[in-house]
Amino acid sequence: MENRWSSLKEKTAPYVLLSPFLFGFIVFFSYAFIRSLYFSFTDYDLFSIPNWVGITNYINLFKEHLFTRALRNSLTFAIIVTTLQTIFALLLAVVMNQKIRGIKYFRTAYYMPSVTSSIVITLIFMWMFQRKGVINYLLTLLHQYGLTIGVFLALLAGIQFLLVFKEKLRGRQVEYLEPSYIILSIILASIITYVFKDFGIIKPIEAKAVDIFWLNTREKVPFWAGPFAFPRPLGAIMILNIWTTVPTFMILYLAGLQGIPKALYEAAEVDGAKGWQKFWYITVPQLKHITFLVVTLGLIGTLQMFDQVKIIGNQAPLESTITLAYYVYQSAFPGASAPKVGMASAAAIILAVLTLTVVLIQKVFSGEGRGLRD
Amino acid sequence: MKKGLSILLIVTMLLVFSAVSMAETEVRIVGWGGTDQSIVEELINKFVVPELADKGITAVYEPIVDDFQKNLINSLSAGTAGDLFYMDIFWAEYIIKAGQVEPLDNYLAKSAVLSKDDIIPSLLDAFTFDGKVYGIPKDFNSLALVYNKDLFDVAGVSYPDEKDTWDDLENKFSKLVKHFGGEVTGLCLAPEFARFGAFAYAAGWEPFVDGKTNLMDPAFKEAFNWYTGLKEKGLGVMPADIGQGWGGGALTTEKVAAALEGAWVLGFLRDNAPNLKYGVTFLPKNPRTGQPGNFIYTVAWGINANSKNKDAAFKVMEALTSPAAQQWVLERGLAIPSRKALADNPYFEKDTPEAQANKIVFLGASAGNVKPFKFKEYGGQWMDPINVALSEVMSGQKTVDEALEIAQEQLDELMK
Repeated sequence: MENRWSSLKEKTAPYVLLSPFLFGFIVFFSYAFIRSLYFSFTDYDLFSIPNWVGITNYINLFKEHLFTRALRNSLTFAIIVTTLQTIFALLLAVVMNQKIRGIKYFRTAYYMPSVTSSIVITLIFMWMFQRKGVINYLLTLLHQYGLTIGVFLALLAGIQFLLVFKEKLRGRQVEYLEPSYIILSIILASIITYVFKDFGIIKPIEAKAVDIFWLNTREKVPFWAGPFAFPRPLGAIMILNIWTTVPTFMILYLAGLQGIPKALYEAAEVDGAKGWQKFWYITVPQLKHITFLVVTLGLIGTLQMFDQVKIIGNQAPLESTITLAYYVYQSAFPGASAPKVGMASAAAIILAVLTLTVVLIQKVFSGEGRGLRD
Repeated sequence: MKKGLSILLIVTMLLVFSAVSMAETEVRIVGWGGTDQSIVEELINKFVVPELADKGITAVYEPIVDDFQKNLINSLSAGTAGDLFYMDIFWAEYIIKAGQVEPLDNYLAKSAVLSKDDIIPSLLDAFTFDGKVYGIPKDFNSLALVYNKDLFDVAGVSYPDEKDTWDDLENKFSKLVKHFGGEVTGLCLAPEFARFGAFAYAAGWEPFVDGKTNLMDPAFKEAFNWYTGLKEKGLGVMPADIGQGWGGGALTTEKVAAALEGAWVLGFLRDNAPNLKYGVTFLPKNPRTGQPGNFIYTVAWGINANSKNKDAAFKVMEALTSPAAQQWVLERGLAIPSRKALADNPYFEKDTPEAQANKIVFLGASAGNVKPFKFKEYGGQWMDPINVALSEVMSGQKTVDEALEIAQEQLDELMK
């Protein structure tokens, strides 16, 4: 008797412990999800009694210009941002994993964009993206001094090559990126560039100020991409979004890097592997699980992007920034007209199904998940 | 000792019962946050409490800091909305048609202090649907031309005045811009229908003909060309191009000579540019029609149709819109109240810039082709295509014809 009682206790304990979360899940997710699913087949407008309309909402959605625009924007945004942020996060993590002085300071500093409120960052970026903002100013500078910078870089590469080549002729083993030579090359290249500039051999180009409309435009970029081009304001949000999310994923990669056994690198070195070979054949495959996580989280986050569109608001034409999540909000609260709760719910369901599908496809292609289950 | 205790008990119970029998009806008032909170709370203390305290009615203000309309729609749908709430002309039609607002005709018929005839008719009309009144306008605003006196003085150009046509105003701006050699520009040209629309109305344009909007109408194009032409001729600038979000902010930079704003700009200028000497006049007249155009922006009190305290809410509404309350609001320069009788108020004859500005805004609402700031059930979605067209033309991305063609297509899709 005593035995059965304790085994019953043991069986129910997990459910008791799960119940607080389960309660939240049922009330705030399951109930809401089922309600939305039901509303998506009705013409509910918050006040009148919902009428069953079948799949009319879903058909009407695809007839609506703004919805198809939102769908395209969301997909483009998700693909481009997830790809770039994964690559940058990995590279940044590898750099941050070096054992150099003050690395902890850099790790903290680089993590700042992710801790800062997204609203604050979006507001700051909105100023930077103005026609006379910082970004256009920097582009103008780059345009004006492009030649000078080019000459400097060419000199840098040339001097470095000569220095290393000279050593190699003497039969000494020197890496092409030998740090002490790089410092020397930078100093020499700077002096020569300065002299060139002083004698007027190279001059800053008298270019007009760059005047790119980052926000207030319906123009699509890049112009050669045809049907795959996206509105430039969406591009601005991509830049902003990548900048804020890279550090979060960098942390995940950093954790993964700590877990790679040193022995693997040592063995590879014995076999004569170069730096990039070690990166490509050891680091990248060893981080496969992390990459799966980063890509999954990235896809979910980017497909449901909402806040930045909301804050940019009427600084940019709606069709240039609208995403699926924003479309749902816009249909549920259209300002002065009847809330189209039916349409909004249908769009929300499509967004949910889309997110699930994309993540599943990603899972199949990366061959992940099987490994996790075993 | 025992007796003493029981007497105490009886007295306590009596006190409790009397308190219950005098139970008060609490009317929940919902409106915007910010300055409205202190204004309404003071109105409650000054005018509602003395009037209704002995009738057992109290009022409490619940400010909604952000997204008031979304909040109201949600709470109406959930049945938790206040008894008395703000209704902006811009979106009131929808909640009225959804049956969420109590028609006031029966209450007005019984009321001794509030009648339809007291209110400025154009304001009341804006809240009248199928012959029933759903809201009592509390105050209103219209657009006026706010200009920087110093800049006109330095340039030696006469101030804009009520006799100006579009051409006269353009001449004044071009003289002024010439004098400053481009350092200062004329008009702050917000790329928004909320400003530009006044000129389209002045040219005689009707926004809705048989339920459709026609941007190809010559009157609309005339206004569009003039407004965007000011930018092209260097006589105006979009606020964003001088790092500002709106006309009020643009005026404080002293880089624009004038902006189109309502009385809401006065408090802003008082706080942000106390030394700016500004003047206010009517919007210029269209040279062909000889009329100015304007918008009426107005907010009314509405009663929740599902409230349990509708009678009490109406009593509170009476107190909040009483002549005394409105006079107090006007004399404080807080808003321009909706009672007709206040047109002759001595406040409007005061010689302060603010009183004069309020007078222009008050009179502007009945001069020329004036329409309420609402666009059927489309709201902001109706204005968006026009706003984008204005901005694309003024930033030189599209020609007038290209931009209007796209805008027309989008409006046709919206209104199909």
